[in-house]
Amino acid sequence: MPRSSGKGYRQRPLRRYGFFIAIAGLLALLLLQTSPRLSEGVEPIRTAASDQLFHVTRPSLIDRISGASAKERRILELEARVRELAQYKALALTMAERLEVYEEILNMQGEPGGAEVTARIMAETDGPFAEALLANAGATNGVQEGYYAENDRGLVGRVVQVGNRSSRILKVTDFNSRVPVMGESSGLRAIMFGGRDASGRLTDLPEKGQFLPNERILTSGEGGMFPRGVVVGHVRGETDEEVRVELSMLSGQLSYVRLKPTITISPPEDFPIETEVAELGEDDGS
Amino acid sequence: MNGLSALPDWFALRWENARPRSRLVIGALVVGLIGLVGLTPKSFFGVPLAWPYVGLIAAVGWGRSGLGFGPMVFLLLFGFAQDASQAPWGSHGLANLLTYGFSAMVTQMADTERTPLLSFALPVVTLFFGITLVWLTASISSGHLVRITPMLTAYFATLVVHMLISPLFDLRARRAGGGVSA
Repeated sequence: MPRSSGKGYRQRPLRRYGFFIAIAGLLALLLLQTSPRLSEGVEPIRTAASDQLFHVTRPSLIDRISGASAKERRILELEARVRELAQYKALALTMAERLEVYEEILNMQGEPGGAEVTARIMAETDGPFAEALLANAGATNGVQEGYYAENDRGLVGRVVQVGNRSSRILKVTDFNSRVPVMGESSGLRAIMFGGRDASGRLTDLPEKGQFLPNERILTSGEGGMFPRGVVVGHVRGETDEEVRVELSMLSGQLSYVRLKPTITISPPEDFPIETEVAELGEDDGS
Repeated sequence: MNGLSALPDWFALRWENARPRSRLVIGALVVGLIGLVGLTPKSFFGVPLAWPYVGLIAAVGWGRSGLGFGPMVFLLLFGFAQDASQAPWGSHGLANLLTYGFSAMVTQMADTERTPLLSFALPVVTLFFGITLVWLTASISSGHLVRITPMLTAYFATLVVHMLISPLFDLRARRAGGGVSA
């Protein structure tokens, strides 16, 4: 029996008004955020919320309940691997010393280093709005906006927001992510964005030439957002319209990421040699 | 043994006698707990899990008891908590509230208590309505049609969880004769 004529519904106009006012308020809030200036204003609230979430979220409750024995086995495996890698570390240190001497002899100009941070992934959002990760390292750990993140297999994404103790990483699988890439063998350049099936898609393809099947895709370093040569994935398939990239980072673990700064080399005009020019001018005058 | 078998009955009796406000708070705590676990990386023996939109479950359940300020405030708060991840502020709150209003409207218009098919179909339809709203706001705010598959998996996860925990979101007071009143 229909109850549309029920008294309860008509007796609660105040609640209905409250409901519609709340709906109108939320719509207004959504509309206000279309303004970039207002949107920038509310971003600190999101950052503060992320910082707070860092305190309450834990790695994975289900993992803790179900995977204890598997983790113990994994720890034993890793310990054995660490012992093995210790030998390589000693070898690497010896070679690094030797390399330093060679570079000094050749007067080689190396790239300036930056502070790298390994961070644990505390939360992830793979919902419809964005594919992002929340890492437990922020400004106090030296992380800055624009750092790029990679795991043991390849590029994961880029830091788009930094709080005091947390930072948000936009994954390369996100639709709005754009990574300048190149083929390792063909040398062709393109821009990669996140596809609908957790793969990468290449756009802005060159008119001449084609990416090779299974070719490794690396960052090209163009634009200065990412350094050159970071592994992104390999070509999975090609159609007339687009090239798909199977992302390497998906085959690795996403519990920890390494946050690294992108070293940009400033053009010479940014640092003119003023003193020498001035001295030359004086010499000419005399 | 008898003591253990009597536990569900004891809980059921306590729940039936609980006041709507207590039920509202318990329901909100359940939503908060499931939502917080959902923020962490979710996989079960390496298989990624779809996480339910538990705010929508609360909206559907609470909506069946008619409109009220308490549920509206909680649904708004849940919405803002969901937005903290990356969505535009207000988008999840809008979906939660509209689903709540839709559930309340359908329950008022139809006698779901006496029509089993309707009482089954109501959450299926209202949850789909809510998920579609989330998909729409996501698509509009990001400027492209977002992927449907994750939304569908989330929808089915939400339906399954709804079947398990929906009694926790029933705010209607029980009458002595077994009927319910909003």
